Amino acid sequence: MTEAAAPAPESRPPLRIRWALAFVVFAVFFAVNAWLQPSLLTTRVLTSNLTSFLPLVLVAIGQTYVVLAGDIDLTAGAIIALVNVSVVTLIEQAGGSGGAIALGLAAGIALGILCGLLNGLLVAVLRLQAIVTTFATSIVFGGIALWILPQAGGSVPQAYWRGYAGGLGPVKLTVILFLVALGTAILFSRMRWYRHLLAIGGNRLGAFQSGLAVTRQRVISYVLCGLFAALAALCLVGETASADPLLGPSFTLTSISAVVLGGTALAGGRGGVIGSILGALTLGLINNIVFFAKLPYVTQDLVKGLIILAALAGGILGARR
Amino acid sequence: MSLLVAENIRKAFGSTLALDGASLTVEPGEVHGLIGSNGCGKSTLCKIAAGSVGADEGHLRFDGREGFFGTPAAAAAAGIAVFYQELSLIPDLDVAENIALGHEPGRRGMVDGGAIHREGARLLARFGSSGGKGLTPGGLVRDLSADQRQIAEICKILARAPKLVIFDEATSSLDGDQVQIFFEIVRELREAGTGIIFISHRMDELFAICDRITVMRDGRTEATLPVATTDREAVLTLMVGSALATRHRDEAPPRPGAPVLEVAGLSNAVLRDVSFTLHEGEILGLGGLHGQGQSAVLRAIFGADPSSGSVRLGGMPHARRSPAAAIRAGLGYVSGDRGINGVFLDRPILENMAIAHLSKSRAAVFRPRAFVERVAGIVARLNLRFAGYDFPLRTLSGGNQQKVVIARWLATGPRVLLLDDPTKGIDVEAKADLYAIIDELAAEGVAILLHSSEDEELLSTAHRVLVFGSGRIRADLAGEALTPTALYRAAYEVSAA
Repeated sequence: MTEAAAPAPESRPPLRIRWALAFVVFAVFFAVNAWLQPSLLTTRVLTSNLTSFLPLVLVAIGQTYVVLAGDIDLTAGAIIALVNVSVVTLIEQAGGSGGAIALGLAAGIALGILCGLLNGLLVAVLRLQAIVTTFATSIVFGGIALWILPQAGGSVPQAYWRGYAGGLGPVKLTVILFLVALGTAILFSRMRWYRHLLAIGGNRLGAFQSGLAVTRQRVISYVLCGLFAALAALCLVGETASADPLLGPSFTLTSISAVVLGGTALAGGRGGVIGSILGALTLGLINNIVFFAKLPYVTQDLVKGLIILAALAGGILGARR
Repeated sequence: MSLLVAENIRKAFGSTLALDGASLTVEPGEVHGLIGSNGCGKSTLCKIAAGSVGADEGHLRFDGREGFFGTPAAAAAAGIAVFYQELSLIPDLDVAENIALGHEPGRRGMVDGGAIHREGARLLARFGSSGGKGLTPGGLVRDLSADQRQIAEICKILARAPKLVIFDEATSSLDGDQVQIFFEIVRELREAGTGIIFISHRMDELFAICDRITVMRDGRTEATLPVATTDREAVLTLMVGSALATRHRDEAPPRPGAPVLEVAGLSNAVLRDVSFTLHEGEILGLGGLHGQGQSAVLRAIFGADPSSGSVRLGGMPHARRSPAAAIRAGLGYVSGDRGINGVFLDRPILENMAIAHLSKSRAAVFRPRAFVERVAGIVARLNLRFAGYDFPLRTLSGGNQQKVVIARWLATGPRVLLLDDPTKGIDVEAKADLYAIIDELAAEGVAILLHSSEDEELLSTAHRVLVFGSGRIRADLAGEALTPTALYRAAYEVSAA
């Protein structure tokens, strides 16, 4: 009993790495990928991989905030589709100048925020069921995207995709974007509202009784999810240089898989953004592995599904120890 | 000027009137005790004062400000802090983060982890080593024991430097040393001019720390007494009230039957060494404060929760492996939480009635017509009316749903009925019907174990009452000894005068 005396006041808060397990899983798949594809370890291939994983990383970051608060957002993919077609169409109609591009980027971000705000108001203010409500709004958003642009097509000015493929000196823009996203996520995780988000997801009644602004915080998490989905859509425009109303949907569940793979509890309150980033990267590596293992095309999905299942089970069983 | 004045508060939850004529006045620098029996409205009154539940009528003034608080945040900003009985801790944040929750130190929206940690350590230091291992600022709340969580919740309140603190059962899991430290803290708060509302079922604690005590009964304030000029008996008398002063049943069972259920040393997460014997034709009541092990005993015997110890049914060992085995052995279990523990609302009445029979019968084929013939007598006897066996159970009132559940067990011809607060939320007429049936069944020799959260029902129905406290049997009251006052005395641990 006596050795359990109260700690000295100068002791430091403990360092808790919530993403350790996600990192182990990531490292394993990275090693396998490098073994199947020796060129992975070159700067060029690493950069191009990061470029293709970036949209999912962004969506997963946004999704994490919603899941941490104990909610879920099934609209991420539909927001990507809507922003994607809106931005391309808008830039085309505004004449394709530099000003038009700036207008398109701003409008895309605003649109993502608006979509998130609508979700947040429906779920947190009107208290509709998150899963059903966001499923419904995802159909609405996807429907609007299809209405704006019924078929894949359109094109953005060269300046857009050239700029996206460019960089600052030797460092590619996509690498910078990734690092900025990572830095922002770390900064956010040290902010007061993030602490409150964890509290709300962990014990909503307790958080309410502790005087936290539960409703506002839940709305903000949906807005963040919409914002990050919009950013992902802008990256996809840079990558494909065109618009596709059917591009988004797969991102919804993939982003949720990344969040879970990263160690965030779907019930909320436990986990973090860095884990989700690792989860998103892991899912990208799994795509690579299936491709470089030279499996017949028709079995690739099956193998991919089994690997994701194994990674999830491994992560969860590991955490349960 | 008084710190808090709450007058004539009225609050209904649906058709249940939780408060009607509840009043409370707390002065600055006063420790004000609040006591009353199960469901008398103490917690609801405090939640209204703290803005987490709205009031229907009444008047509130706090620190010169008129009106009710719309949210806990508004009440907290005005200086009210509440120790919630169910606690408001976040399992996946650490102790220091929980203590600082909602007022984290730091600049420009950033959190100063070091400052949070130091403040947490400073507050926890008050409890010294009495908190035990693991109660550190950096320990996750999910890993703490019940007493450690209560200490963390107490520290969370102290961190807010409130003008009024409401301690709702803040000591229920604390040991003696921890309670003493808690009392020191309460005295310091009082010295500093803080108003304190102290809710406890432990009469000794109330008399040790309070300046005044307010007694509540059935949602209204009975009296406020200065501790210096009152005693435990006076408080107990006010709690019991006149309505309960007489007991309706004082006869023993018509013929003392053979032992049917012999329970010895039953223990589990809730229960501590519970032993008793239930006889044929006996109605044995389980009483005491809410949640002291009454339901746990029934669920353990029915095999719904694991337990150690021995249970003999009709002289044979009863293994308690599963409810299915218990049903085959001749037990029936009726819960007040029908939605969770008993019925299938969207399934037909017939299925709801037949389900226990199906579990017991060894027949390969279920013949509905034969079953209906079999239960026709039971249905008539229960005064149970419905449009047809095919209608979903949802179409019946709560009282009739509960009768269907009773019919379900009667169809199995049980030897022992376990009734777990069976009249919860059902209307008065159906209640009377149910109790009449319970009496009849007992007269036919069925042994009945009855838990009721309403002391009056227990006193008017049971031949004998076991009073539970902290998972143990505190008293076994029968015959002359079974009086309302004796029941309360055992529940509130007041030694006989």
